[in-house]
Amino acid sequence: MRKPWQPQQPRDWWLHNPAYRRYMLREATALPLMLYTLLLLAGIFQFSRGEVAFAAWLSWMQTPAALLLQGIALAAALLHAVTWVALVPKILVIDSDRLRIDPRQVLRAHQLGALAGNLGLVVATLWLLWPAGGA
Amino acid sequence: MGTIELVATRYRPEQDVQPWEQRYTVPCSEDMSLLDALNYIKDELDPSLSHRWSCRMAICGSCGVMVNGEPKLSCKTFLRDYREAGVVQVRALDNLPVERDLVADISGVVEHIEAVKPWLIRHSTAPVDTAHTQTPEQMARYHAFSQCINCALCYAACPQFGRNPAFLGPAALTLAQRYNLDSRDEGSSERMPWLNAEEGVWSCTFVGYCSEVCPKDVDPASAINRGKVASDINYGVNLFRLLRGKSDA
Repeated sequence: MRKPWQPQQPRDWWLHNPAYRRYMLREATALPLMLYTLLLLAGIFQFSRGEVAFAAWLSWMQTPAALLLQGIALAAALLHAVTWVALVPKILVIDSDRLRIDPRQVLRAHQLGALAGNLGLVVATLWLLWPAGGA
Repeated sequence: MGTIELVATRYRPEQDVQPWEQRYTVPCSEDMSLLDALNYIKDELDPSLSHRWSCRMAICGSCGVMVNGEPKLSCKTFLRDYREAGVVQVRALDNLPVERDLVADISGVVEHIEAVKPWLIRHSTAPVDTAHTQTPEQMARYHAFSQCINCALCYAACPQFGRNPAFLGPAALTLAQRYNLDSRDEGSSERMPWLNAEEGVWSCTFVGYCSEVCPKDVDPASAINRGKVASDINYGVNLFRLLRGKSDA
């Protein structure tokens, strides 16, 4: 008579294998990003309450604890971006009778696009904050 | 020739309530595979140990087991690589019912594979004296995906399948892609409902470990995530057709 043993997936399945730990780290990057989004939302809320409240929020954002949080969020965003873009050639395969693009070119295009987007954002921010510019 | 410790997770349905571990000491030479070691135990030490095997050369897909926590074919795993670890822990493939000792029941996986109709479907038939020709470029598009040997290592590697056995899983979704990408096939409309389903490509969260453990370099993670692109396009086409008062594509 058959009596198969039915295994149950343990709650801590992801702790026992380096591949699963890397996966969970990538997924967990969403958490510091959520925290950072909440900090920004708090900033907008304080802005609506007036100049004093906003200045207080700004100075709080420069405390070591807040800077540490922002540093973690930045590191998480970079880790997610780099690991995600690296997967592009596995997902976006352009290969048909009419059009074929080398997967390395597809990856390069995404890397350049991400780099240009991020650098553009930094340049635009600096330009807006520059005393003479923006105004 | 030295020796190495091998710990096998035993489960004998007639007398055991749950699996337990048994330790064996086996010879360890440069050219000894784990399958050789399991056969040594069976022949010389303990005939009651059960394990599946057939070809000894990584093509039949029968001898998949967990080795120190990783899904592997025992015929393609060598004891010499475990000398430093000092011990080889062997158990039946994860995420599947254990029939006995190291034998996992892969019939659920086979049912998932059958569901996606992994064969060439033609609606038009060519005359008997004509072949369905294909260029090397057209063959290259699906060739890697056609190397699957149904060993189910990818299912043992997939935490989403472990969580929900209804998920069609890596091999089945890869085979669906393999036939959808074949220029001779005309059956993708019969497979798309499986790809689009809750248990289809969208249950995959790109853990990617299936591709790492595949002994034939099939890259199921890539196949499934390309399936998501196909599913997106199919959704758009269907939406467009429905808006124009036509049926699903």
